[in-house]
Amino acid sequence: MSQENNETPLLDPPAPGADTSLLGDSHPVPSETRAWSVAIAGWLIPGLGHALQRMWGRAAVVFLTVGLLVVLGAAMRGNLFTSHGSDAFDTLGYVADLGAGSFYFLARAVERTGADVSHAGGDYGTRFLATAGVLNLLAALHAYEAARGRKA
Amino acid sequence: MSSPAPVALTHLQAFLLFAAVISIAFGFLGRRQPRDRIKYILWSFFVFLLVGIGIAWAMYPFSH
Repeated sequence: MSQENNETPLLDPPAPGADTSLLGDSHPVPSETRAWSVAIAGWLIPGLGHALQRMWGRAAVVFLTVGLLVVLGAAMRGNLFTSHGSDAFDTLGYVADLGAGSFYFLARAVERTGADVSHAGGDYGTRFLATAGVLNLLAALHAYEAARGRKA
Repeated sequence: MSSPAPVALTHLQAFLLFAAVISIAFGFLGRRQPRDRIKYILWSFFVFLLVGIGIAWAMYPFSH
């Protein structure tokens, strides 16, 4: 498929020992700073880390899956943890939820009536929200590895 | 009295949806070729179902 040709990292790593000083700006060398920028972008907006590397298929799937999980989790009135947790589990839940980046705040806006975990649906929603965050963190890590030129 | 959730899924529906969405994400992140992705998505989905239903049956005796 033609799409597959676009699924390669933008920056291929130079061969070990290769002289990269003459590559110029048109062939930038993968840098740690750029890789971190890609990872942070991918965390803030799910899929953006891959989109910056022209991995369109992965970018779309990450955006849609994380978005779907967040919207469903909020619509099922799952619990969105805050930074004011009372115990370690609340803190862990907050870290997981915050992994969804900007979508965490979207979920807070969607879930106007607050959480309701007295029903099973709310409990499932809590899991959906946490999974969205962890999945986005995994995707951001994947984008980071790809930006460093590692196999992805 | 709290208002009902806009979306209400049964346990099975939530389970199937979760397995499908995560399998698709894993397939796209873990594989590059379309054929490999489809195989991985199907395999991952099958394993999700197997493990989920297996754990459910393992817990069944404790629910009575």
